[in-house]
Amino acid sequence: MKKKMSLAPAFFVGPHIILFLVFILLPTIYGIYASFTKWNLMSDPTWVGLDNYRTILFDSSSTFHTQFTNGLKNTLLFVLFTVPILIVLPLLIAVSLEHKKVKGKGLIQAILYVPGLISISAGALIWLLLFNKQLGFVGNLFNSDVSWPANQPYAWIIIIVITVWGGVGGNLIIYRASISGVAQDLYESASIDGAGPIRRFASITLPSIRFPLIYTFVMTTAGAFNVFGQPLMMTDGGPRQSTHVLMMYIRQLAFGNGESIAGMASAMAVLLGIVILIISALQYYVMNRNAA
Amino acid sequence: MSNQVAEQVSKSPLINNSKVKKGSNISISKYISYLFLVILCVIWIVPVVFGITTSFRSQTEVVSSGFRLFPKEWIFENYVTILENTSTAPILRWLVNSLYIASVHTFLVVVVISITGYGYSRMNFKGRDTLFFTLMGISFFPGVVNLIPSYKIIDSLGWVNSAWAMIIPGLAGMGNIFLVRQFMRGIPKDLDESAHVDGAGHFRIYWSIIMPLVRPVLIVCALFSFTGSWNDFLWPVIVFTDVDKMPVTAGLLLLQDIYGNYRMIGQLMGSAILAIIPTLVIFLFAQKYFTQSINLNSGIKG
Repeated sequence: MKKKMSLAPAFFVGPHIILFLVFILLPTIYGIYASFTKWNLMSDPTWVGLDNYRTILFDSSSTFHTQFTNGLKNTLLFVLFTVPILIVLPLLIAVSLEHKKVKGKGLIQAILYVPGLISISAGALIWLLLFNKQLGFVGNLFNSDVSWPANQPYAWIIIIVITVWGGVGGNLIIYRASISGVAQDLYESASIDGAGPIRRFASITLPSIRFPLIYTFVMTTAGAFNVFGQPLMMTDGGPRQSTHVLMMYIRQLAFGNGESIAGMASAMAVLLGIVILIISALQYYVMNRNAA
Repeated sequence: MSNQVAEQVSKSPLINNSKVKKGSNISISKYISYLFLVILCVIWIVPVVFGITTSFRSQTEVVSSGFRLFPKEWIFENYVTILENTSTAPILRWLVNSLYIASVHTFLVVVVISITGYGYSRMNFKGRDTLFFTLMGISFFPGVVNLIPSYKIIDSLGWVNSAWAMIIPGLAGMGNIFLVRQFMRGIPKDLDESAHVDGAGHFRIYWSIIMPLVRPVLIVCALFSFTGSWNDFLWPVIVFTDVDKMPVTAGLLLLQDIYGNYRMIGQLMGSAILAIIPTLVIFLFAQKYFTQSINLNSGIKG
């Protein structure tokens, strides 16, 4: 009887532990190990110590160094351009939707949410046509005769537009759910005390939804650092690699044409991972402290 | 603080006609809110409508008539052409692949997360919570690091260009298990204790008592797993090179080469629309679950 009791948990949690070991723990450890090696994905990796990191970070004559700094710069730009919009815009929408007199809330929310369910490759085909200078609206409505994906700042603009279009819905739903959870009498007593809408928003709504705000801020930022599909589909990294993000270089080095340079790519991946970890921790720390 | 506000306001000379003022304020803010929301909705929906209507326009019309939201003449040839293409851009094949991958993945997700969630919440064994939180902690490590070795593992298993490459790895995640565990912990213990007394084993309790109670969470997890798997882009682009085996997201990446640089626009749009339809249909029928999910989230965080 006792033996049977001790085997049952292994049956329930065991299968997932095996999956976890094979598809999360093992590749993570191997990814860190591979960053210290020369590896072409096929033969066994050869240990090279810190060479990859030295090349990427300090050897300014190396293309890997140029790729890494350019990729990281463009990834950071993407984060800076999109994350604030992906936090503020859904928040504004959620507040507007709270207005008692506004009708059709469900429909509005559904319309804004739907692009989040569209894959980047399908969405990009449509948006590229809209941004096409001959066939889309930019040429016909704005009289613009430059090719948007091939010129700055338009290349960034179309990447930001499709990202915001697809990304607003998720955070919007989180904010709406949290705002509707704020006690109504707080607002009522504030109104009686004469607080205007902006005042009420700043001193009641924002503090009350502190946790969802921290959560969405950290998650949206971490997601933005992994950006890949939008620049790949919209601009293919152009013009002159000015929208070529780090994930695109990592994929190119490890899985592109020619021999795989997976060791170097792994080192870039580890560095990107470290950046994400540091930024997430900073965000959490700063926001939690300020809010307390 | 609110006293200060009250004081300030009572000093204000406008306080006496505040009634009038307040009424007009409300309607102004209402119109501003409306204007803002309507403009956004138009921007959000135009691409979808434009994609759909363009897929029903002929190439000559698209090129000659400039930007129009609706076709002069509706034609169906674009769809005939893309559905008949079974070699360079087998869209039907891709859709079937995607459907198979997303369905099997979703089914297995539900099985794995409910069984594992049960183990971590309703069973007692030594080191249970330590184990759980250790796995949670490890899973917070950024996924970009395990991307390249994951490919190597898939390759060793012989799963490159196979649906398993997209079905199995995602089952290892912790997020949904956390959610299910959290939900199962909320179910009173006496339920299974009395079942234990009646001689029911763990599997019986899992299946006939706990499963029915956690159905809502499982539905939410299933919907997000399905749409997530359907829309996944980076991973399929890496593990699929065989045009016949790939899911539709990876396939669409090839289209711009195949249908030319906007030489066959209707076909491009038709393909994109076909790739969108399944998730949109799911959303149409299960909208409340998509929006409910966050209540589960905020229940934990708040």
